[in-house]
Amino acid sequence: MLANSWRWILGILLLVNGFGASHAECGRSTAPLDEYTSGWGIDERNTRHQPRSRLNRASISDLTLRWVYAMASDTPRSYPLVTADTIYLGDGGRGLIALERSTGCERWVFKHEGEFSTAILPARIKAQDALVFSDRLRGVYAVNRDTGALIWHATVDEDPLAWYSGSPIIVNDRIYVPISSYEVALALNPLYGCCTTSGGIGAFDLITGEKLWYLPTISEPPEKTYTHWGFVQHYGPSGAAVWGAPAYDQASDTLFFGTGQNYSHPTTDTSDAIFAVNATSGAVKWVRQFTENDAYTAACNNLAWQHPNCPKPTGPDVDFGAATVLVHTSDGSSLLIASQKSGDIYALRPESGETVWRRKLGRGGIIGGVHWGISADEAAGLLYIPISDKELVGFPAPGTPAPGLYALDIETGEQRWHYAAESRCAEYECVFGLSAAPIATNDLVLVGSIDGYLRAVGTEDGSLQWQFDAWQKFAAVNQEPAQGGAFDTHGPIVFDDMLVISSGYSYVGQQRGGNALLVFQLDENDD
Amino acid sequence: MTDARVLAGRATRLLATGVDAVLVPCLTLVLVMMTGVVEDAEDYLDAWWTLHVFLLAVFSYLLLNGLTLLKRGQTLGKVMLGIAIVEVGADAPPSLWRLIFVRALFFPMLFLLVPPLILIPLADQLLIFRRARRCIHDYAAGTEVIRYSKRRRS
Repeated sequence: MLANSWRWILGILLLVNGFGASHAECGRSTAPLDEYTSGWGIDERNTRHQPRSRLNRASISDLTLRWVYAMASDTPRSYPLVTADTIYLGDGGRGLIALERSTGCERWVFKHEGEFSTAILPARIKAQDALVFSDRLRGVYAVNRDTGALIWHATVDEDPLAWYSGSPIIVNDRIYVPISSYEVALALNPLYGCCTTSGGIGAFDLITGEKLWYLPTISEPPEKTYTHWGFVQHYGPSGAAVWGAPAYDQASDTLFFGTGQNYSHPTTDTSDAIFAVNATSGAVKWVRQFTENDAYTAACNNLAWQHPNCPKPTGPDVDFGAATVLVHTSDGSSLLIASQKSGDIYALRPESGETVWRRKLGRGGIIGGVHWGISADEAAGLLYIPISDKELVGFPAPGTPAPGLYALDIETGEQRWHYAAESRCAEYECVFGLSAAPIATNDLVLVGSIDGYLRAVGTEDGSLQWQFDAWQKFAAVNQEPAQGGAFDTHGPIVFDDMLVISSGYSYVGQQRGGNALLVFQLDENDD
Repeated sequence: MTDARVLAGRATRLLATGVDAVLVPCLTLVLVMMTGVVEDAEDYLDAWWTLHVFLLAVFSYLLLNGLTLLKRGQTLGKVMLGIAIVEVGADAPPSLWRLIFVRALFFPMLFLLVPPLILIPLADQLLIFRRARRCIHDYAAGTEVIRYSKRRRS
């Protein structure tokens, strides 16, 4: 009841505050919101391949930094929506922002206090152009793109600690929302009785925001297991969060998504698994688990703590945090690509979950292996896989790290090339690896590294074509201090002759925060 | 009450405060565990759990120190270090309301949630280095801390 009251209050506040500052000199945006394919995966199959770009090997040397916008957050994790004249992005602590694409001039800022965690999605709702986004703690919002007025606000009631971390997708007037849980971090509190929540996915009506169905990834209710320190009660099963954007197959009306590890024992057969779900009914078509008995919470991040909320035995924490990708092959069939933090890449038959091929890249670890996502170039028949293999002090992973970008043949999994990016962490105190999701276009794949380099790599041979060092201060168009940092999370977005990426991410620790939205453009004389 | 009043030493006061700063949170921790106010997922739907923990901390403080404060102006730490809070001039334990509602307002823990405000208890403590060895909370409550003599009880 109380929670519902808060939701109303939040909704009203958003509505009241929605009419933010606007700058008349920038004018209103008139461009349609669906100018480009958009969303976390660029398309509903999560290929993260943008064909509408003029960035290629011939032109990339002319890509220059055009303008920089200083965000309020030093841990930005909103993936922008781009139209012909505007860039829409979420900035934690400031709000939803519309920037004139050519100059960075603020068209408007709709104040919102929460943390933007997802892609900004375009929608058409009740004859209004709308922007849809998730606030990591508060749920999913649809707002009018011209006024910021709240159209609806949706949450799931099934998980009291829901985290709206993964980007939703919009298909056929429905929005599918992945649900994880901040219980994974709450377990750091030794007085917390870990753990009771389950990941899940919710389907909502795009027009009304009403929930259509909700599928928890763990169907069994949690039960009491044991106590620590005499009083603190433990529960299980729990976990199996859904962190990544689901992929959608129009032909079979199926959603595909991966799950994370369990948070407590007993473990389930739905953790570290791939789900195929009927998008209309929410019925499970198949589930396939790839790592059994993986129980882990943030309380295990430093094993030396012997934290009571670190489940024993402790699992390797090898989620499918990265979004699943549905790719079409040259013979007209499809493969579902699942990338795990262990560094394992699987190609599955979408109808059954049967493995077609498997490839292990890198060492893997709790920040990957593959962390956020991959991209696929169906025309070239290649997958581009960034490997993090980030070193963590408290939870060492066995084996030799092999961070870098790998190209695999879509149909066979055979490695075509490997780009082993050089680390500067021998000179500077930092960590290294490719954690952010890449994006592919033409004959390039673009990827940012944790140590602050944005690079363009040729898809033919994995050769370095261009790079930009973001570890610097920038003069921002909004006259505020802008600092580059680690590249992580959603990675770059490309369109026409431009590239946009946010620099800075201190969330996982040991990484440099930053607040610079970097906007690159090919030099005018490129034509 | 014939003893000459001797102000408590600065190090002694600091040590007594240190003892209290360990004992009270320890008891609070036990009570939080026993009552389970931060144990369930539902506890984190709103911020009420912070009030619950705060009230348990107040309860712990009173449970450990209430009786000795009321009777002799001593917390457990002050009992161990042989010092006591008295009203200035009256040489008798202050009333409980002064101890709780005036002196306790300067407890550093109360200011931790708003970092810049931590300067208030810091400034409060710095006054101990003046000759009168009275902190701001002593001036506010009209108290001072002296060496405690058993004869003073009789």
